[in-house]
Amino acid sequence: MGRNPSDLVVFVGKRLVQLVAVLFGVVTITFFFTHIAIPNPCNVWSGPRATEATIQLCIHNNDLDKPPLTQYFSYLSKLVTGDWGTSPLGVPVLPTILSRFPQTLELVLTALLFMILLGIPLGVVAANNSGRWQDHIVRTFYLSGWATPTYLGGVILSIAIGPALGLPRTGAFSSFPTFPEPFHMSVLDALVNLNFAAAADAVLHLILPASALAFINLGIATRMTRTSMLEVLPMDYVKTAKIKGLSDFLVLYKHALRNSLISTTTILGITAGGLLSTTVVIEEIFVWPGIGAYAFDAITKYNFNGTIGVVIFFAIGVVVANLVADVLYGLLDPRVEWR
Amino acid sequence: MADPLLRIEDLTVDYEVGAGTFHALQDVSFEMTPGRVAGIVGETGCGKSTLAHAIPRLLREPPARIRRGKIWFRGIDLLALPKWKLPLARGTAVSMIFQEPINSLNPAYRVYDQLVEAVRIRKMRETGRSPVLFTDAQPHDYSRTPAPKASEVLKRPFAPSLPRGKMRRPAGFSRDELRSDVLEYLRLVRINDPETILNLYPHELSGGMRQRIMIAMALSEKPSLLIADEPTSALDITIQAQVLTLMKELMEEVRTSILFISHDLGVIAEMADDVGVMYAGHLVEFGPVDEVYSSPRHPYTKALLRSVPKQYKDQGPLPSLPGSVPNLSNLPTGCTFHPRCPLAQNLCAREPGPPLEPAKGARSSDHRAACYFSEEVASLA
Repeated sequence: MGRNPSDLVVFVGKRLVQLVAVLFGVVTITFFFTHIAIPNPCNVWSGPRATEATIQLCIHNNDLDKPPLTQYFSYLSKLVTGDWGTSPLGVPVLPTILSRFPQTLELVLTALLFMILLGIPLGVVAANNSGRWQDHIVRTFYLSGWATPTYLGGVILSIAIGPALGLPRTGAFSSFPTFPEPFHMSVLDALVNLNFAAAADAVLHLILPASALAFINLGIATRMTRTSMLEVLPMDYVKTAKIKGLSDFLVLYKHALRNSLISTTTILGITAGGLLSTTVVIEEIFVWPGIGAYAFDAITKYNFNGTIGVVIFFAIGVVVANLVADVLYGLLDPRVEWR
Repeated sequence: MADPLLRIEDLTVDYEVGAGTFHALQDVSFEMTPGRVAGIVGETGCGKSTLAHAIPRLLREPPARIRRGKIWFRGIDLLALPKWKLPLARGTAVSMIFQEPINSLNPAYRVYDQLVEAVRIRKMRETGRSPVLFTDAQPHDYSRTPAPKASEVLKRPFAPSLPRGKMRRPAGFSRDELRSDVLEYLRLVRINDPETILNLYPHELSGGMRQRIMIAMALSEKPSLLIADEPTSALDITIQAQVLTLMKELMEEVRTSILFISHDLGVIAEMADDVGVMYAGHLVEFGPVDEVYSSPRHPYTKALLRSVPKQYKDQGPLPSLPGSVPNLSNLPTGCTFHPRCPLAQNLCAREPGPPLEPAKGARSSDHRAACYFSEEVASLA
């Protein structure tokens, strides 16, 4: 009975080993998808006015004349040594992704924060007033988010709501930052440079894309919280909390919500992974300098190395998000054992 | 007789669910004297639990609906309290122990964290740092202090009183102070190793242990009234005996007023001073326990008592009551018991059952029954 802290270390370790297997699978699938779907990207890479000789040179330089398996193994051996290749224009992939991924992470974490701070209390309110008007309003709100296609929600926020509120619609800063960016996260970078004007500017720029991302996925957090709250509220321990003389607020948020969060956390972990892929559309709309916009760019320009690189990061994001959810799950529910 | 601690008048509660309206309680009226233990006995589904939950306003509304009635508790009608004042009526005023100890502790918090909440609430109210419902001192021990006078709701302002001169929140209670209080109550419920128990989660404890902790939690708030809703029904028979013995001993020690709900006539006989018998949402008889048991004044009580097996004696098949409990959504006209009653007359089918009134021919005026023919009950075999 009981758990040791070492259980957690073993659990996280095991999951990280599994991550390696996941990454291997993801790389393999993406590699063959890209290389078999588009066997000769050199026509595009070399540009519309390329001569036959330049195209042949491109094919030779990129090993495209070799069998796919050979290409695969040579790519894989370079990948594990840290050489993730370059884009067709010769820009190295790994540094680009490393500088853009934190920016996406900032966006996703902000959206997640919105979902937690707004979505979960909405779920509590809906459950506590189930069947009454509050419940219906909350349901309308989150279903409208859920039913909105990503691009539509983003565009509406960008062209209608953003201008109406006077919020900036594109980019992470109003002007190109002149200070060093050690973290590649706009708000954090501005803060460490003690440039509070830039930080405020960055926060304003974050609001629209993060709300778009959050609004579309809010329904999951709200609905899950509502459902599990409805299961928890009739439990005897909620009555126990009430009969102690605790206020309604403490009964709801300390005793009932704590137990409902267990399932909400799992869903949020899965959603957080999904948010990464939603950024592909959102970042394109809001011109956010993150990995999502880069993914869009890489795919449309047949940038195989870039595409695989992005997919690797997305896969890491999904696995880590689920891992964090599983760890939190165990922290929230003392009956769960990490295995 | 002292002022009643609790006086329930015409309490009527319905459950409105898809299948129809269930009349869980109909015109239930009775009084509890401070310092005494009142038992409520009845079959499953007769409304005992609804009654227990209605007093501290723990019924979930909807589906429950309190149609009418008054619950006078120390001079305050709990049914008239606004929603935000309800927490003040709970804990230090009315506390409760539930049927299923397995579910009654929060699985996410350690025993200490759950107990200390209760202790802190009581201390906050005792020291006037949080609002209270009753401004007069709450005598915990009714055997030594006179019954409290009825007082008005909330003489104190809502804001916690601040120390004069300084605009700051009153300091909390020290960790040690709270901890020693928690430990004291765990020892009170005969937990041998309270220090270890404090750091455990509920799922690491047995059912009997959890029920002890619930009892400790309830008592740690020094409630004026403790409601025990079938506190032992979900436990193993041996643990049941242990918990009952413990409660019996605690009653002697703390002398708080208890409303003890059970379906077990034997348990009630053991624990209670007064007993109320419920049938299909009606309180059909109420009185001192020895009197009700020795000379019941309602035919249902009589039948119920006859169906209790006598130990070690083979007396052939147990007498049973013909018919079955009526459906609460479709009660018979007249007295709800008349279809099964050996004394039923035309009057009983026509007129609704009489209110609880002093039983004719009973020894004490406290013995009340809701039957037109309470005098004839004695003549029943």
